[in-house]
Amino acid sequence: MSQTNRSRNRALVDFVVLPFLFLTVALLGGLRVGAESRTFIFITPPLVTLLLATLSMLLFVRGGLLSFHQWVGSDLPPLTNVAHIWMFITIFFASAQAFNSVLPERGLFHWLFSFFFLWTLWNNQFSSFDTRRLLRSLTILFATAFVLKHILLASLYSPEGGWFKRAAGTLLQGLTLGSLDTSTFAAVTGYIAFFTLALYVAGLILLAFAVNGETPVVTHTLVHEYQQLSAAQRLAVREAIINDPKD
Amino acid sequence: MQTKIIQVAGLIFTIVYAAFIVWIYATEPRTFKEVTTGAEVAAGTYEINQGNFNSALSLFRHEQFRAARDEWQRADPAQRDARTQFYIAYSFYREGWGRVYFDQELFKQGVEAVNRAIDLSSASTLTIDDPDLHIHTAAELKAELEQGLERNWSDVNPLKVLRTRK
Repeated sequence: MSQTNRSRNRALVDFVVLPFLFLTVALLGGLRVGAESRTFIFITPPLVTLLLATLSMLLFVRGGLLSFHQWVGSDLPPLTNVAHIWMFITIFFASAQAFNSVLPERGLFHWLFSFFFLWTLWNNQFSSFDTRRLLRSLTILFATAFVLKHILLASLYSPEGGWFKRAAGTLLQGLTLGSLDTSTFAAVTGYIAFFTLALYVAGLILLAFAVNGETPVVTHTLVHEYQQLSAAQRLAVREAIINDPKD
Repeated sequence: MQTKIIQVAGLIFTIVYAAFIVWIYATEPRTFKEVTTGAEVAAGTYEINQGNFNSALSLFRHEQFRAARDEWQRADPAQRDARTQFYIAYSFYREGWGRVYFDQELFKQGVEAVNRAIDLSSASTLTIDDPDLHIHTAAELKAELEQGLERNWSDVNPLKVLRTRK
């Protein structure tokens, strides 16, 4: 009974909860609220975010968060393959929109942030990662970008800020010959971005649990295959495991 | 079996949700009201606000064209009603019409509105049966507005002050 519940819950997480979470991130990642008009502004993901999302997907594969070979294969039912591919697509767009939510919309800061993301993700491609370290690294990356964009920059360019903030913003603008031109949004935009990033990280953590849940399946497969062997072969396998130099 | 049902239901639900997200980004609604109006249009249940329409018509007959247009825009926020768009175009025509010259900006906006009306009309020719109007079809109104935008030698004809507004 518990095995049935486990498999039902697993299916619910894999095929409903995770795609829904990632699609919500895709919806909210490009949402801003105008500072004066208080109306919605939907910003489609810039091209650079698609590149960043691709690098993130590669990182997820390297970090063991996404295991294509286990989730998509000729031995799995077609519907399961389609559902898993659909989930990968939702993760890709959620990643693009998560980057979109923390990237300044235009000006020099847009390119500075893009470069900062590209550099970090590119370097990470050559580091050794496990799922936990990858999640920690991504959380820190997004948290830093969030603080820089939605707290520091928003405060510098806020029309509601005090004279000191406005003076600092104007000075910064003057020193960079106006290349720091950035958009100002209502404070609620920051809350939306925070919620979006929290959902994205929560989705990735849930995904990590789902991936770790695969381990018993692999173990069961191994045990099943072991049971198919002859007595002599079983003995050889046992000896090989016992004599494994890594143990 | 239940896992399969969850898979199918999950796929359908999330694909519908993804289509909604694509629709949101394509239409870029600015308020929740616009989201609901857009959804009504997509579902085919959209109707104009008749109260606003009637009050706009009354303002139009009293030559209060800007106020009339505001009311019509409130009556048809999604700009999906051919009749309302026709009246909006007509209000641009009447406000922009002058004995000596036509207001080019208003006439341009009139052409945009009448084009919307033509695009929206299911019938081949959009006809409005209103005895207070001199132009009853969208095609005629469009021609009148486009003529007003053209520049030619007849513009310097002093007799043009004798022409009448339709």
